[in-house]
Amino acid sequence: MSGFVGGLVWGLAGGMLIALATVFGVWWERKVAGRIHMRIGPQTTGPAGLLQVPADTLKMILKEDITPAQVDVRVFRLAPHIVFVPVAMSLTVIPFASGFAPLNTSIGMLFFLAVPSLSVIGMLLAGWSSRNTYATIGGLRAAAQMISYELPRTLSVLSVVVLAGSMRPLEVMEAWRPWWILANAIGFLVYFISSIAEVNSIPFDLPQAESELVAGYFADYSGIRWGIFMMTEYGAVVAASLFGAAVFLGGWRWLPGAFGVVLFIALTLLLITAIIFVKWTFPRMRSDQLMTTAWKILTPMALVQLVIVGVIVPWM
Amino acid sequence: MSLQIEEQRQTEGPDGRPRQELVVNVGPSHPSTHGVGRVVVHLDGEVITKADMIIGYLHRGIEKMCENRTYLQVVPLTDRLDYVGSMYSNWAYCRAVERLAAIRVPERAEYIRVIVAEMQRIASHMMSIGSAAADTAAATLFIYSFDERERIIELFEELCGARLTYNYVRPGGVAFDLPEGWTDSVLEFTKAHRKALDLMDRMYFGNVIARGRLKGVAVLGRDDAVAWGASGPVARGSGVDWDLRKHDSYSVYPRFDFNVPIGENGDAYDRARTRLLECYESCSIIEQAIEQMPTGPHKVEGQPRLIMPRAGDAYDHIESARGSLGVYIVADGSPRPYRVKFRSPAFCNLALVPKLAVGHTLSDLVVVLGSLDPVFGEVDR
Amino acid sequence: MDVRPQVSNEYSEGIAGVVERWKSLATGLSITLGRAMGPHKTLSYPAEKLPMTARWRGSLHLNGILGHDEIEVVRSQAPEYNGIIAGLYAEERLAPCVGNCPANVDARGQNYYMADDRPVEAYELVRERNIMPGVLGRICHHPCENACRRNYYDEPLAIRPLHRMAYEAYQENKPALSPMPVTQDKSVAIIGSGPSGLAAAFDLMRLGYKVTMYEKEAKPGGALYSGVPSYRLPREVLHGEIDDLVALGLELHCGVEIGVDVPIDHLMGEFDAVLIAVGLQVSRLLPIPGTDADGVRGALEFLRESNWKGDAGVKGLRVMVIGGGNVAVDVARCALRVGASEVRLACLEASEEMPCHPWEIEEALDEGVIAMCGQGPEKVLEQDGKVVGMQLRECLSVFDESGRFSPKFGDEYTTVDCDVVVFSIGQAPLLADLVGGSDLMLTDRGLLPVDGEVMTTDVPGVFASGEVVTGPGSAIASIASGHEAAISIDRYLQGHDLFEGRVARPVPVYDRYQVATVEGVEESRRRVPMPMARPEERATDFRQVELGMTHLEALNEAARCLRCQTGVCVGCTFCARTCPDYAISVDRIDDPGERKVTHYDLDLTKCCFCGLCAEQCPTDALRHTGQYELSFYQRDLMIFDRDEMLRDPAGTRSTGRDGIHPGDSGGEA
Repeated sequence: MSGFVGGLVWGLAGGMLIALATVFGVWWERKVAGRIHMRIGPQTTGPAGLLQVPADTLKMILKEDITPAQVDVRVFRLAPHIVFVPVAMSLTVIPFASGFAPLNTSIGMLFFLAVPSLSVIGMLLAGWSSRNTYATIGGLRAAAQMISYELPRTLSVLSVVVLAGSMRPLEVMEAWRPWWILANAIGFLVYFISSIAEVNSIPFDLPQAESELVAGYFADYSGIRWGIFMMTEYGAVVAASLFGAAVFLGGWRWLPGAFGVVLFIALTLLLITAIIFVKWTFPRMRSDQLMTTAWKILTPMALVQLVIVGVIVPWM
Repeated sequence: MSLQIEEQRQTEGPDGRPRQELVVNVGPSHPSTHGVGRVVVHLDGEVITKADMIIGYLHRGIEKMCENRTYLQVVPLTDRLDYVGSMYSNWAYCRAVERLAAIRVPERAEYIRVIVAEMQRIASHMMSIGSAAADTAAATLFIYSFDERERIIELFEELCGARLTYNYVRPGGVAFDLPEGWTDSVLEFTKAHRKALDLMDRMYFGNVIARGRLKGVAVLGRDDAVAWGASGPVARGSGVDWDLRKHDSYSVYPRFDFNVPIGENGDAYDRARTRLLECYESCSIIEQAIEQMPTGPHKVEGQPRLIMPRAGDAYDHIESARGSLGVYIVADGSPRPYRVKFRSPAFCNLALVPKLAVGHTLSDLVVVLGSLDPVFGEVDR
Repeated sequence: MDVRPQVSNEYSEGIAGVVERWKSLATGLSITLGRAMGPHKTLSYPAEKLPMTARWRGSLHLNGILGHDEIEVVRSQAPEYNGIIAGLYAEERLAPCVGNCPANVDARGQNYYMADDRPVEAYELVRERNIMPGVLGRICHHPCENACRRNYYDEPLAIRPLHRMAYEAYQENKPALSPMPVTQDKSVAIIGSGPSGLAAAFDLMRLGYKVTMYEKEAKPGGALYSGVPSYRLPREVLHGEIDDLVALGLELHCGVEIGVDVPIDHLMGEFDAVLIAVGLQVSRLLPIPGTDADGVRGALEFLRESNWKGDAGVKGLRVMVIGGGNVAVDVARCALRVGASEVRLACLEASEEMPCHPWEIEEALDEGVIAMCGQGPEKVLEQDGKVVGMQLRECLSVFDESGRFSPKFGDEYTTVDCDVVVFSIGQAPLLADLVGGSDLMLTDRGLLPVDGEVMTTDVPGVFASGEVVTGPGSAIASIASGHEAAISIDRYLQGHDLFEGRVARPVPVYDRYQVATVEGVEESRRRVPMPMARPEERATDFRQVELGMTHLEALNEAARCLRCQTGVCVGCTFCARTCPDYAISVDRIDDPGERKVTHYDLDLTKCCFCGLCAEQCPTDALRHTGQYELSFYQRDLMIFDRDEMLRDPAGTRSTGRDGIHPGDSGGEA
């Protein structure tokens, strides 16, 4: 399969994966947050409340899609898709199993880091087209934040690339050794933190900032368009966790065959849970603190990591 | 394409070039205004250059309503003033009525009042800390503190059947005596509550992000706090040693040994932490009160249903969770007050918003509001 | 266990600070992780049933409503009566007026019958406990009215005047009286025909005993006859009611003084039990100079003379009454009526703490008595053996800190000119003649030792009751002690133990309400005033002062009764009046025989669940339920009408959290 048809098939598969991941992710987050809050979480709809999220999704689809009077209609309607598509695209380079990545390209690592950042354009458009001060501020915050956190995130992944000597994710995985976990510890921490910032989760959820900007750039959206934003968010969490579990934690490399894939999924789940814990534990940062964290803490840490893998490791 | 905004102002930026401000309307329907307050902020970038506090969205005319209700019928109205601290409004009003009608309250009633007031203080502070934390997205702390508050509310429900609008303190005493075994539950609660306070302290007030958000924000100097008529934790966070329980001691408070926590810097952190530390003191007061509690009647015996004080006026104030809550009543000798005026601490403290918010970012506005702990039922009345 | 805050206000400097910062993040995560691993607190929905408090404040429910139902009246023989009262008291179903009466007269039942225009039943109900409703309806100091819950709202119900109105209506429709059947073979002698003796006699007659009563004077009534002036109690009423008792089988012998005409030993031999109910006969005098002068008199002797002869020899003279009790006021008012030119009353107490009933002194002042309060007698001034004046000394306080009688005098002296001084400072029994020659012994002070609880004397089969036991007191208290004596005599004659299983009267612990203001209370709600003769007219003769109500007024007054603790709404509208949100509206009709609450509407859209209405409901009919889920398809369903209010909350259209009655607590169901 190649060309347009292949792209379409993999794109649909990626979309389905994101939809499934969202359904599961929302349910899982609600369960975990419930436990943190000493509650049970969803329990009534379906077994253990599993059908709660599909029911919510159905409701969102059936809901009236409100387009406020003042918005720039075409941009307003387009924006959610611009946010969604890059995140779905980024899933195509994940090495899911030995020798299998939907899109096996030589710049896969770069692709994964670069493409999701495109969704910032969608956020900016959504914020701008809403003609709402909250949404505008949210969109602008999103742009500033995403661009800032690109740097530490990219640098942290670079250390893996340096160790593997390749940008092709499958080759990186083949080259992966367990001692990389130790060698890349700082890089993994930087990756984890900046990924949280990339997916706009607390403590870096300034673009949405429920308590300040109401919902930030998607404040004026409703129905399924709002749902697309939410799906994107969870898709991004899943994508970042999959990628982190693969290239930093070794993914399926620990065990052979299908066991490896199961372990990979388990590690991903662990990372998702960690992101949920961070989300439900910490307060939100302020925009200046956000920038300070990116430029004064994470970027130097990522550079230190690069020095470790680029200078110290070969020397040893 | 240009933004549709309410009002635009041209200002001069630091570089000398003209800049256009963004006017953002926060409230009255906004998650962080703790009710229905409204702030119109002018933003230069994200920095607030001007903030206008607009109130009155919850005005129900309670002071006017008091004028055509009997003295007893006013008590349920006072519940609706400070709806997270109904016991205080009840108590302050009843003290004024008792002063006016020369009613001597039985000692046991005073002890019960102190216990419920201190429990109410914990409940109110838990609400304040929790919702201020939720403003900075620490939703879990919100749940933890509300869990503590919930336990107090359950105890109050056991005490008087209501969870929020208690109508419990009445002129001449309290409505019901304590139920069987209630004080044991309270002691159990204070024991567990200290641990929960410590947990919240470590989770939020020791947290680096929370400190970053709260420290140095909305700094109110000691002299300013006095000049602006701030009271309660807002004044004490700024280092003003002023607590009516100590400095204009009323009821049976002189019999208890407790400290008044004082902040140093007068920022949002100090205000919130003062509240937290006050909860420790409240626990200790509750324990002392239960220990010293005398037996006897819980309200004045044989008091007529219709209280009719002589013509005159009376003012009394108590330390509510938000500060000095005063009630001034003018009586004309009829069964209904001629005029009732509430000096609400939340109203006086809220006046500080325009002063405190300027120079901070929009994100800090919610911290400023949260640190002042306004309850709009009391602000607007 | 004292946990103190551990978190410091600032981080440390340098590297340690960096470590602390990162550690704070780890601390936060460990706390949430710990809580996530810990137990959860919520239960699962919809099985969730939280425990609920009994003091709940859900929507309202009426237990019952005024219709044609009979209310419960207390009727029983004396030995069981106390037990019934104590039972009602324990269940909190005892009306305060009944509880506060020393004899537990069922005033609530009387009001119920009176409002229904059934005065004969009312009269018979009251007579079972206070023996002479016509008499007590005039002279009782009505502790029932003090406890009346209506005090709390406006004015107490006129219970005492209603006794009198019941008597008057009864006189008009009086059934023929026949002697009660004598079913027991035992007989009882009662010495003294005062209230206490009559009460015991009536109780024993109802129990089937043969009762014989001996009275020293020519006419029966005891202190009611000799001490109570006829302007308060017309003699035909007193003797009419005693005649009724005679018609019911009482054997009354007047003019027989036991101990003089017949020795008491003789009675003990002839009868199975003897009750001494002779009361107090002599006035005490003060040991101050001048009391032996001509013109110094005792209150009882003075009253006896003026009551029986209508002339006490003080015509045109200035009378000084010493004492502040009810007897002193009676003396003063009598003195006016027998022609005294000026009557002064001096007492130790200040005017507001005088021991007499406030309405008594008020009426006396209206009639022209001059009160000199806070003045203690110092000495009687005499000239040639005749009283010419009285020296009084300022009294600062009467009781010491512990409440004992210990007057403190000041240095100010007042001298008042007068011709007659009447001491009304206390009374004493005169028993020496009575017990002479029997086994009964008197104490040094001339008192008879009696067990105050079961009224026994040292000699088996001889009992005592009334003021001879209790000391000076009210008529109704004497009646109560007569009832107790009757119980003891019955137990003695039946061979039961006097103490075993005996229920003491519950102590009246009901709050004594101050009288509420009547400002703004409409005329129809207020107490029907008892018409009084004008002071300048009434002060000259012994005609009755209280003139009596009309039949309609009596019905209206009886309808004001709140029927406390019956659990049935009487439409008193106090819930509507106390509601701060005007959510309740109540209407009723009050026609005799057709009393009914026509409307009872609760507007739940206004209700603020403050609980004021249920809290003050005098009948305990209005109660909060545990229903908190109040959602309706139509807004007008939120207005609960009379039927909805009466419906069992478990089955109402507002599906409750449990559909619940107070007392259940949710829990696992």
